[in-house]
Amino acid sequence: MTDVQRFLLSINSDNQKAHSIAKETAQGIRILTPSAAITLTCEALQNKEKSLIDVVESLGEYINDEDNANRARTIEYLSQVIGSLPPAFLSRQQIQVLCQFLCDRIEDGGSIGGLKKLHAMERYNGEMATMTFRALLAHFQDLQLRSQAQRLQVYDLLNAMMSSHRRALRSLGEEAIVGITDLVANEKDPRNLMVVFSVLKVVMVEWDISAHAETLFDSVFCYFPITFRPQPDDPYGITAHDLKARLRACIAASGRFAPYAFPQLLDKLDSTSPNVKKDVLQTLTACATSYSLTTVSNYSVTLWDSIKFEILNVQEEDLAEEALKVLQAIANRLGQGLQSTDLKTPLATYLRPITKECNEQLQEPQHKQAKPVGQILSAIGIASPVAFYLIIRSVLPPLSTLYQGADSIAKQRALLEVLVQLLDSAIAVYGSPSIPAPKTSIDNPLTPFKDRLFELNSQALMSTAIEEVSFRVVALRALLRLCLLQNYLQENEIGMVVQYLDDIALSEGPVGRDDLRKEAIQALVQISRIKSHLIMNITFPAFLARLPDSSPPNHRDFLITLEGLAQISVDNFVADTLVRRLLNRLDVVLANDGSPAYPQAMLATIHYVLTRRNLEADPNLQTYFEKIVIALVTRVAKAASGQAPVTALNEEATLEILGRLTTLIIRALGTHKQSSVALQCYSLFTEEGSFSPAPFHEHVPGPCRSLMIVSTAVLAGLPATVQLEYAETDGASLESLLAELVRLALAEESLAVRQAILRQIGLLMNKFMSSTEISAATTTLYKLIAGIAETTTPMENAVRAVYWMSKALILRTVQIDEVLSRLLNLLTSSTSGASSARGFGLLLAPDEILSKDNGATIRLLAKQKVFNICTPRIAQGFRATDSATVKANYLIALSGILKYMPTEVIMQEVDKLLPLLLQSIDLEDSDVKAATIQTLTVISLESPAAVETHVGSLVSRLLKASSNLAVNGASVRLNALVCLRGFPGRVKDTTLLPHRNNVIRSLMAVLDDPKRNVRKEAVECRAAWFNMDEPQSD
Amino acid sequence: MSEILNANPTIRNASDLPSRRPDSTIPTSSSGASQRYPPLGLFASTIPASAYLPDPFATATPSSPTSSISEEDSAPEPIDAQEIYDLIAPIADPEHPLTLGSLSVVNLPDIFLEPLSPGSPLTVLTVLITPTITHCSLATVIGLGVRVRLEQALPPRFRVDVRIKEGTHSTAEQVNRQLGDKERVAAALENGTLMGVLRKMLQGAEGGETAL
Repeated sequence: MTDVQRFLLSINSDNQKAHSIAKETAQGIRILTPSAAITLTCEALQNKEKSLIDVVESLGEYINDEDNANRARTIEYLSQVIGSLPPAFLSRQQIQVLCQFLCDRIEDGGSIGGLKKLHAMERYNGEMATMTFRALLAHFQDLQLRSQAQRLQVYDLLNAMMSSHRRALRSLGEEAIVGITDLVANEKDPRNLMVVFSVLKVVMVEWDISAHAETLFDSVFCYFPITFRPQPDDPYGITAHDLKARLRACIAASGRFAPYAFPQLLDKLDSTSPNVKKDVLQTLTACATSYSLTTVSNYSVTLWDSIKFEILNVQEEDLAEEALKVLQAIANRLGQGLQSTDLKTPLATYLRPITKECNEQLQEPQHKQAKPVGQILSAIGIASPVAFYLIIRSVLPPLSTLYQGADSIAKQRALLEVLVQLLDSAIAVYGSPSIPAPKTSIDNPLTPFKDRLFELNSQALMSTAIEEVSFRVVALRALLRLCLLQNYLQENEIGMVVQYLDDIALSEGPVGRDDLRKEAIQALVQISRIKSHLIMNITFPAFLARLPDSSPPNHRDFLITLEGLAQISVDNFVADTLVRRLLNRLDVVLANDGSPAYPQAMLATIHYVLTRRNLEADPNLQTYFEKIVIALVTRVAKAASGQAPVTALNEEATLEILGRLTTLIIRALGTHKQSSVALQCYSLFTEEGSFSPAPFHEHVPGPCRSLMIVSTAVLAGLPATVQLEYAETDGASLESLLAELVRLALAEESLAVRQAILRQIGLLMNKFMSSTEISAATTTLYKLIAGIAETTTPMENAVRAVYWMSKALILRTVQIDEVLSRLLNLLTSSTSGASSARGFGLLLAPDEILSKDNGATIRLLAKQKVFNICTPRIAQGFRATDSATVKANYLIALSGILKYMPTEVIMQEVDKLLPLLLQSIDLEDSDVKAATIQTLTVISLESPAAVETHVGSLVSRLLKASSNLAVNGASVRLNALVCLRGFPGRVKDTTLLPHRNNVIRSLMAVLDDPKRNVRKEAVECRAAWFNMDEPQSD
Repeated sequence: MSEILNANPTIRNASDLPSRRPDSTIPTSSSGASQRYPPLGLFASTIPASAYLPDPFATATPSSPTSSISEEDSAPEPIDAQEIYDLIAPIADPEHPLTLGSLSVVNLPDIFLEPLSPGSPLTVLTVLITPTITHCSLATVIGLGVRVRLEQALPPRFRVDVRIKEGTHSTAEQVNRQLGDKERVAAALENGTLMGVLRKMLQGAEGGETAL
């Protein structure tokens, strides 16, 4: 039995004939897999046990079989044998013979595959390629009828021959060109077209196609525009974009296509489909970029005439953008290598009608064409220095005259807007100090207009009525661009602009829209990047001079100045100077009595500037530490203990800002420094004995106690590893410090100080205590909780302490079950139940002090765990109790937890939660109600299906919450309306429709709400329900 | 509506449109809370009002159970001309992708609010609209749009009167009569095509201010 028999036998196990072969041959012969049969043959050939002649002869019987399928399989066998041989195995003659054989048999399936394999042989040559190619052409009609996969094989073979034996095919000339177009005609499958386009592109780019340009062009342009849409689960990964790109490359392949391509593309521009138009414009850009200069030049004006409407009468923004790209591509092509501003060049010829049209449009600058005109000029101006030169030469003089003669500010503004766009391209062409442009021999055409432009814009900015905000904004933008343009304005002129900007930033109070001031500040920021000394020499003195030496009694103008200073200080040197000057000024201000708002704002400014710096790497960090942390903190400590005058710095609110600065700076210090700071976290850098900190001292006066705010800030900035003051000796002293802090917290009456102490407790338990120390701390916590549960007197402060300690433990997930279950038990307490319930809102709330930035341990799973432990117990407790107060407590606690819970976590239990949430809208507490409604809003946005069954009660409750001013705060009313507005379009219409009239009627009253934002939301909510039955527009 | 009547209208820049001025009142030093936490403007982003707020326990103290409500509701904000303007300015023009505000079809000084009689909550609202050109046949549609928006958005105590500003339209009288006639307005709203146009207008113009 020969190998070919085995092959056929095994591949055809159901085939009668093959079975009969098997019977005829001796029994006991193994039936092999098809691939094993191939391998066997190949090994035999390579070992010279068989010759190729043997193999071919062994086919004899089957190769002429009447059954097409068997013939095909036989050829397939041969192909596979060829494919499995080493590339150098076959001699040239052998390949020649096989090639001839396969070409003769090209109608039989499998021979294309064989030819492809032969083609991969080393000794395959151009002659054989030609033979193969001709064989393909001779049968192209037959090949076109084959299945997609087989056609793809043909194209793959063609593609392979094109890449390896291009010259041989090319020498066929006309025969090849016509042949290929015939071969690929009528192809429709996107996978095949990808190959076809790349084969054709080679022909178009490299071969002489002069005689067949139209045929070739038609062979690809018939596919334009491509409307193919891949199936949703497209297994081949071909997108419309891929196809469009390849087709575009073909159309743009040769300038000889221009006479066909341009008219036909422009024809298709009349299409109503934006996608087609976009495709046309992108293809035009590709053509303009790749066709030769002369070709593009021949069509440049025609193209402009057809395309300009897309820009001037803009229908869709992105089409206009594509059209601009075409215009720019033409200018690029025509200006390539051009260094002459002569008016006879193709570029100049192209630009002439454009500038003419633009100048005409600008006669009525306030019309909406002004903006596109600016875009056209700017897009083309960017193309090259020559293009920019020609545009400025023909546009700027008339523009200037028009501006002079304009009878309204609206017209002048429109003209300046065009100027700004021109200046943008000037910066692109000639560069700015920060982004240099390539050198060019063309002089900046704006140079002769320098004085005129500077003066005109200065006047527009500084001598126009204050109300003309948008006009002045445009003038400001123009001036800024003049400053940024490389080698343009003189230093002193830029200085003048800086002065103008200073004046605006300082004098224009927050009147009406703040646009101009914001622009001025942004412009100063940009100038400070390139000319920081001008900011230092002009802006700083001007701004600082406006800062008073003492707190002004009745206005806050200093805020504007400080905000300005903070914003422009982006440069390192400028920022450092600002901090030093402000600190000096602060000294002066503190010496004079007055409202603390001003020194607070100064500290806030320093904080703003420092948060925008990389303090760790800042060379001035040490100075900041000494001048801000040590100097100011000692100062308040001395004042508190009566050794220095008390100033505005000692106000609690000021201490908070000072605290933030302290945290920021200490965080950036080195570890060594931090350790020494830690040892003074309570004595606050004072000399020993001169200041008594609150912990471990009796009868500490209020001013000294308030310094706990600063101590908290110091602790917040320190890493967990340091030894703290009062806890130097061993771990046990952290425990005694904790006990002392708890004692202080329970006794403290000032809200801010108490909160500071509570946060310290939190830091201690969350950050500083090791896992061994923490167990002792939990005992303290449990004792406190037990104390609260037992007493009958309200213990507000103890409850606060308990929740802060619990928060610290929960965030690091220590004993989380135990802690939470004890807290949940507190909810039933008649005295402390209500305040305990509110405490749940604290547990997961983000905190400024107890944060990741400050080194707190915040486990990712904490929230999920709290949710998993609390919700079932709350639901259960809620059902079990009959007391209305206790029920309310459970609901308040639930709302506190859900407030900070990630939506996906809530969604897991949404069905259980909804009934509870609905009841908590009925609570009186405004905060809880607002939070609950917010949770409900999130739920109904995320999963409208979940609320579907509750829509009736939800709608009536929300309507109630949106009215009744006596009970519901503005935030409750607003939230209720936001929630209600989310229903239409999400929840099924059929569920909502019964409530529609009720909602619309009830909201009528809310339209008269005393609060403006509530009314606004009511209008939108009502509109949403009004339009519910209308088809949703996309 | 295929033929655009006024292809080249004058457009106002967004920053020139009237808007509500930011609250510039300075909190008096007597109110403790606002003095302790001054409005820090720019710095509010780096400095929250206070690190020590919010205290979830704060409202639990029985001394001030409703403090938050009374405080935030203390100052009623009556409906004023600017609010009316904000309602109608974002309406889209039927033939341009622009808002009535930016086309100066509606203007703040042309909005008049007057109580029906002194002390009465009933208020007469008059809005004068200025068509972009004097023979604009779409003036009625625009007026209708303004009217529908206001009737949907204002409480019933407002009597809405929308009319063409004197001297700005060739057939102003006729249009005014149409807009003032309740039955004709109601009949117009039954018209499906017209309602479609109005709905598109009320959805607002692209590129306009945050449209409703």
